[in-house]
Parts: sequence; structure tokens; C-alpha cells
Amino acid sequence: MSRDWTRQFVNRRNIFWGAGGLVFTGLAARLAELQLLRREEYETAAEDNQIRLDPAPPRRGIIYDRAGRIIASNKRNFYVTLRPEMFTSGRQLVDVVDRLSAILPLSDARKASIIRDAANQPGFLDILVADDLTWEDFARVNVMAPELVGVSADVGELRAYPYVGAFYHTIGYVQKANENDIGRMIEADLAQMGIDPASQEGRTRATTIRRIYKHPQMRVGKQGVEYFAESALKGKPGKQRVKVNAAGRIIDRLASDDIAATAGSDIVMSIDAELQTLAIESFGGEAGSCVVIDTRTGEIVVLATTPAPDPNEFVSGISQRAYDALLADIQNPLYHKAYDGIYPPGSTFKVVVAAAALETGAMSPETRVYCSGRAWYYDRPYHCWKREGHGSMNMHTALQNSCDCYFYEAAKRIGIEPIAEMAKKFGLGHRYELGLTGGKQGVVPNDEWKRGRIGEPWYPGDTISVGIGQGYMSASPVQLAVMTARVAAGQACPNPKLLVSGIEVPDNDVRELEGLDMATMDRLRAGMYAVTSEAGGTAVRAGALDPDNTLPPPYTGARMAGKSGTAQVRVISLAERATGVLANSELPYKLRDHALFVAYAPAENPRYAGVVVVEHGDSGSRVAAPILANVLGAALRNDPGAKPAYSPSSELAQVEPHESEPT
Amino acid sequence: MMRRDSIVDRLVGLPWFLLMMILGLASLGIVVLFSAGSGEIDPLTGNQVLNAQLSVAHAWRFGLLLLLALGLALVPMRLWAAAAYPAYFVGVVCLILVELFGVTVNGAERWLQIGPLRVQPSELMKLAVPLALARFYHQIWEGERQSFWSHLWALIIVVIPTIPVLRQPDLGTALTLMAAGFAVIFFAGISLRIVVAVMVMVAAATPLIYFFALHEYQRRRVETLFNPEADPLGAGYQLQQALIAIGSGGVTGKGFLEGEQKQLDYIPEQHTDFIFTIVAEEFGFMGSLALLILWAVVIVQGMNIALRSRNLFGGLAAAGFVSTLFFYVTINIGMVIGLLPVVGIPLPLVSYGGNVMMTVMVGFGFLMAAHLNRDHQMAIRGVF
Repeated sequence: MSRDWTRQFVNRRNIFWGAGGLVFTGLAARLAELQLLRREEYETAAEDNQIRLDPAPPRRGIIYDRAGRIIASNKRNFYVTLRPEMFTSGRQLVDVVDRLSAILPLSDARKASIIRDAANQPGFLDILVADDLTWEDFARVNVMAPELVGVSADVGELRAYPYVGAFYHTIGYVQKANENDIGRMIEADLAQMGIDPASQEGRTRATTIRRIYKHPQMRVGKQGVEYFAESALKGKPGKQRVKVNAAGRIIDRLASDDIAATAGSDIVMSIDAELQTLAIESFGGEAGSCVVIDTRTGEIVVLATTPAPDPNEFVSGISQRAYDALLADIQNPLYHKAYDGIYPPGSTFKVVVAAAALETGAMSPETRVYCSGRAWYYDRPYHCWKREGHGSMNMHTALQNSCDCYFYEAAKRIGIEPIAEMAKKFGLGHRYELGLTGGKQGVVPNDEWKRGRIGEPWYPGDTISVGIGQGYMSASPVQLAVMTARVAAGQACPNPKLLVSGIEVPDNDVRELEGLDMATMDRLRAGMYAVTSEAGGTAVRAGALDPDNTLPPPYTGARMAGKSGTAQVRVISLAERATGVLANSELPYKLRDHALFVAYAPAENPRYAGVVVVEHGDSGSRVAAPILANVLGAALRNDPGAKPAYSPSSELAQVEPHESEPT
Repeated sequence: MMRRDSIVDRLVGLPWFLLMMILGLASLGIVVLFSAGSGEIDPLTGNQVLNAQLSVAHAWRFGLLLLLALGLALVPMRLWAAAAYPAYFVGVVCLILVELFGVTVNGAERWLQIGPLRVQPSELMKLAVPLALARFYHQIWEGERQSFWSHLWALIIVVIPTIPVLRQPDLGTALTLMAAGFAVIFFAGISLRIVVAVMVMVAAATPLIYFFALHEYQRRRVETLFNPEADPLGAGYQLQQALIAIGSGGVTGKGFLEGEQKQLDYIPEQHTDFIFTIVAEEFGFMGSLALLILWAVVIVQGMNIALRSRNLFGGLAAAGFVSTLFFYVTINIGMVIGLLPVVGIPLPLVSYGGNVMMTVMVGFGFLMAAHLNRDHQMAIRGVF
């Protein structure tokens, strides 16, 4: 058997060798043709290869509001760049920059910095000459292009904030990255990848990151969500093959899908832009902030601070003059009042003190305190806001009338530690991580805090002021909104949340509201209801949100329940008390009281809870309450929480055309 | 004749010349992959950023698989024969599972996810098909039952796994399976008249296949071959860039790491299927020719091992494997230098990637086992 097939095998192998030899010879022949005979042709082709690999910045993720409205997107951007390596002499460079300034509005300072950059940067990094150009300017550069060596007019994308100032403090803005930003991005990236910055790989990565952030089109988040979510929003840079002519001008872009950039993730916020805008308008010309939380989901549907600058002005670099004006503005527009602003909560804090009184048993609901307009504790007089006094008060009437004397007495009986404990249960004293920059913790004072901060023990007298939300006590509007939401919905209210999708925002060690008696919660709500809805309540005029019964069920005829507060900015001296306390209208703006109002609606079956702080607004019930009533009424009408937040599809977002672009 | 069976004797008896050639090719791969990984230019210094990641991974992979191959060389022929049908059967079942639950990568279903493992059953089939066929013919010959019809059965053994692979779609692997299978049938002695007749039929059917059986993207690749300028920004451009890289290499090449074309990132899959462009650009005609000759020597060596086997199973399976290697090398180089349309077939031992390396090294293990057991007569009965 074996002999038989062996002979045949030799035969077949010979055929295989013949055919295989032929094929290999063919391959060798073709190689000889390419590499020996046609070598020159291909060498020329390689030299003529006018393809250059340029970095391609990724499309930055879009930021949406809960209804899918665009809060931050990318508009088409016409820009002009200059590539230093194309110049043979400094004179030629200066000449080209001069010619450019005849077409484009370039200040002398800008011209000087372009020339300086061109001298200091590696020659193949493009320098941004001007961006956000009109179509006319862009077209003019293109027409002149043949005379302008090394200059490219290009179309890219630029961040745009269609809601102008409404989201300045939450979204923040992007700008060209400076050395600090680049260093920060490199550090974050290497730390995330676990790469040693000193290693070869670490240096390579650092260089790549530096190069992409140096790209004329690349921006970095400087503040707010743009800063916090930079890693999610920025996407993955890619490369783009471009065909260039001998002068370095891009004449064509080649298909580069295989190496293209990957767009950043889109982010959805829980805010309802329409409601946010309405809230800001409700302030009129006043400065302040408004926060509204959907108590069912914990989602923040309004996070407004006013006034605010236009973030669009920052994207291409705001002028020093404009920036100085913002800094000098008495209303402090750069300050994120809702999140960074901390105020004495004033009388709004009485709700917490009431809860502590009931839970510790220091007061029963019917315990009566007599208010003569003034009370003495530890050899010092403490005044009620009503000079002539409220007379005999129980807890319900004390909340309704916001009687200070009642809460001085309550605070004294409870003591500071249970009050502080209760304040934390209601969400004060914690910096909520919302996915923004900034954010203040506020102060929930107690003995330990005072020893640590001031170096003194807690004196019993300190407790008295805390009873009416003054003294060392302070809280941000976001915290007051959480407090109100917890009063409204109790334990059922989830922790506050601003970014719904696109990035995880973990917020650990949030204190939960727990262990409170249902009866206590009912009494707090009854007290807040009395403030806005029972005769004599401090804000009874603002209580009705739907006087004409036009809201759809279940909100028809809804009322809000709330609590006003006035935070003193100055200390009233004994002499002034003697001669009569000055009315706020007689004081300079900066010394007037802050007006606070916290409320939830509908009163019977709470859905939305919020706070309005009007800085130097004088009176919580008169100034802040109507604004919050307006916002909560609109919240019930729009009912943003009724629909789940928008979820962006995977389709590529459209780039908005430039306004001056012909269509 | 003295039986030499101790482990030491077996190691001494290994085909060392062949092993040297394999080592040479893999080393070339390590060198070229270093260049392939180092394309990026540092924007601050203007120097090339060196990156050994690919070549180090390649070296590790080769080293470990070489040990595996040496281990497999010591496996007796009887065990290889016993494993042939089960391996074939498992492979076919896996291919069907891929079709049902496969993971899609790059638009083609090729992977089967089993826990953390991703298995590519079509790779297994590249060895299982020649082994199964060799065993089939071995038993036919033993029973003296060979006839025209036995070749038809063999054809069925080839076709069964080819169909699901084609459906994935993975034309490269399907062609490899067919090449390995037909090679075994050819060496098993099918009448040359039938071979010629089939070739004529295939030639006649080519237009039909082109218009009706190929996917749109495959047709475009064929068009590109005849007219690279037709689609200068798409597939044609890539081939043209590959040709520029090869042609501009000249006689001696531009030197190690000096390739210019690779810096443009234009050549697709340059570290895998198009690795040859770097060899040709940086080492020129001399380098490309050296690579071809190295492979030719390996193939001749392998075929001699097949021929010297005194059992039909070892001889046929070895011939099938060597034919697969030949197919790999010619198709890969042929497509890179613009003689054949682009199909996804890497250059074994040189291209980056674990699956093909695995297949090839297991195959070499078998080839060495066939060499060590060349004098063994062997009777196989039953199916297992």
C-alpha cells in the first residue's frame, strides 16, 4: 500500500513545486518591477505625496436640558490659522500678518502675540489668528489666500450657548486651554490610565494631549459642567488627512473615517430650560437665585442665578475691559449665588428648630411662649421682628407668624447639639456634588465646630441666635431647597441630582432624613401651610398658585406652603434700636437684608419644592415669596417631572450654521 | 533499525534547520513590528516616537507558542490521528454556534464568547480540515477502498465548514479552508483530469461569482485592483499608497524606521495584513526577496517532511498544512503588491495577531511531530 502512494506523492509534490515555483517567481518578478524598474516613478510619487496628517479635534458633547433643548452645542466656526514653518524669514511673517490685519480686525496686541507665538512654537503647530469670523471676512481671506503664504482659512466648530446667561453658572464655559489646563488634563489622563508620567509612554501621551489642546479648534471646560465633565464631553481626538499645496494651504480633505475623532458624550441635565428662564425673568432686575427640586425624583429642575454674563463672550476670550466691568458690578454677576452663596437661613430655619423641639420633647405642640417683642437670655436682650410682640404663641402660630421669641425659647430648651443634628438630617451642612465646580458646605455650628474654627467653646447665648437661623448658621440656596424638599416629601425624597445622563456624579456621605415621627412632619407642613394660607400668615398673599383654577388636575387650585426668611447682613446696634431701626430702603444696597423664601407645592400633595433668595431684597415674604410662587405655579403648569428626562440618540448632532452664512 | 524514542533523542531529531527558518521569520516580524509601532512623530522634537509595544507582544506570543509547538512535536502520530475527527466535529459545531450567537467584530461574526474567552473556531478549522481529510484518506487507503467517490466524500468534508465561514462573511478564511482541503485531495491522488476540469470550470464561473456571489465591498476591491486611480480617496488610494511605499523602497530600502509612507497612517492594517509594505519600504527589494526566499525554504522543508512520512495520515496532513502556508504567503504578498484583490489574510509569523500565529505554530508542531514519527507505520480503526 505505502509504496503505491509514496510514488504518487512524489509525482504530486513535483507538480506542486512546479506551480509553487512559478507563483513565487511571479511575486519576485512583480516586486522587481515595482522596486527596480518603476522605482523612480514611485519615489517621485512619495515625494509628491502632499498628504499631511493633521490632528482632528473631536466634536464636544452636547449638553441638553431635561426636555432635550440644547443648552450647549457647537456652531459652525470660520477661522484663520497660520503655520509658522511655511515662512522663510521673520520679515515675511510680519508682512503676512500685516496684510491679514488689513482684511481682519486684528488689534496691534493680537498681531504682536501672533508673531511671538510663531517664533516660540514648533513650526508645524498652527496658530489661531482669528475665529468666529463672519462669512464675509472668511470669504475675503479665501480670496486673498494665494498671496498669503502659510495662512489657512478653515471651517470648524465653536461652542455656543443659546440660552446666553441663563446657564452661565451651571454650564460654565469653554476657552482655549492654557498651560495650567494642559497640565491638568495630562495629569488626569495619566492618573486614569495608571501610567507613570516619567515613562516613555507617559511622555508620548502627554505630548499627544498637549498637541490636541494646542489645536486652534480645541477648547477646554473652564467652569461648571463644562469643567467637571471635561473627560466625558471632550471625546477622543483623531486625525485628518489633508492634501496641502506647496504653500502649506489645505486644498482638500481626504476620507479619514478610520482615524477620525470620536465625538464626546452628550450630557442631559435635569433642569427645564423654559422654567429656568421664567425663574430668571421673575427676578426683574433683582440679584439672587432660585432652586427648584422635583421631590419625586430629587432632580433639580431650576438652578438659576441672576444676573449672569453671557458665556458666549468667554469662548473666544473675553476682553479685559468687559471682564473688569463684571468684577466691579455691585450685583456680583460672576458669583454662583445658588451653589456658592451662603446666607444665614433666617426664619426659614425655624422649621428645623421646630422639628428638633418636637423630636427632643423640648416643646410639645401646645407649649405656649409669650412674646412681648423682646426676651432676655444670659443678660442680653433678643428682639422679635415685631416690636410690639405677638402675645401668646404655640408652635403652629409661631411658625405662621414667624415669631422670634418663641424660637429663642425653643432653641434654649433644645440646646445646640440636637439642633445641629436635625439641621444635618434636613440636608444642611453638606456640599452636594451636582457635577459642577464650586459649591459650598455652609455652616451647621456646634461646640466642636466653634472650637475648631474660632478656638472658643460654644456659649449658651450662641444657641439663641441659631434658633432663628442667624448667628453662625449659614446655608446655600441648594441646601435650603433640599431642606424644603425633605420637609415636603419626608424620607421619600431622593438626593438632589443635576446631571441625568452622560456622566456619573457620585455624592457619598449624604445625610439621610431618618427616624422622624410622622406627626412631627405633619406639624411642620401644617405650620408652613399656615404661613401662606391661613389668615395672619406672613406670606398669605402669595399662597394661591392657581386662583382661577386653570391648572390641569391634580394641580387645579393648588396652593403652596412655605416659610419666609430675612437674613440680616449688618449688626443692628443698641443705639440704633433706641432711635428706631432703619428701614432697608434707607440703607445702601450692600447693607440691605437678604430676602429668602422656601416653599413647596401643591400644599396637600407636594411635588415641587424650592427656594428663592433675593440678595439685599429686604423682605422674604414681600419680595421673595411672589417670585417663588410664580416659579412654582409655572412648575405645576409645565410639570417637567411628568416626563422622564430626554435621552440623546446616537445620531450625530447637527452643526448649526453660522448666522452670516449664505444658505 | 534501532528505535530512538527517548525525549532527548526526539529533541535531537527535530528538524532544526526548519526551526531556524521559523525563528528567522518571527525575528523579522519583531523587527518590522517595532517600526510599524513607531510611526508617530513627536510634535515638539520632530523625532519619531519609538514604541516597542507591538514587537514585544509579538515576541512573547511567538516564544510561548514555540514552546507549545515543541511540546506538540513530541505528541505521537496516533494521538494526532485520534484527535482529528473530534477536532473537526467540535470546530463545525462551534462555527454553527458562531452563526447563532457570535460576537460581531469589524462587521463580521467570527468570534464565540465563552466566559472570558473569545474563540475563533474558523482558525481551528484551518488545521482540523487537513487533519480530518488525512485521516479519512488514511483509512480509505488501509481498506483499499479508494475510488472516485471517496474524493467526493472528502469534498463534503471540506465544504461543510466552508459554508458557515463564508456566511460570517470571512472570505479569506473560507478560501484558506478550501485551499487546505483541495491540497489534501490533490495529494491524495485525485485524477489530474478532474483537477484540470475543475480549474476550467472555476475559470468559466468567475464572472458569475463576481456578479452574483461577491459582496459589494468585495467587488470594489477587485475593481480597485485593475484601476487603482478609480477611487482615489477610498480603497484605491490605500492600494496606491501601499504601492508607493513598496516601489519607493528601491533596491536596498530607506533603512530601518525610515519608512515615510507609514507615517501618513494611510496604509490600512499596516501592522497586520499590510506588514509587507514596511519590509519592502524599509529594506527594499533585497529585504522583500529575502522574505520570499525564507518562506520558500520553509515550504520546501515542510513538503520534504510530508514526503518522507511513511504513514499516509502524517504525510497528507503535513502536505495540507504546508499548502496552507504557501497559500497564506502568496495571497498576502500578492494582494499587497497589487496582483490580487484585498482579502483579509495576514503574513504568518510576521503580521501582528495571535490567532493566525497560534494556528501556524500548532501546525508547525504537527509538522515536527510528523518528522519525528516519519518511520512509524500506523493503523487507524473506527471513528475515535
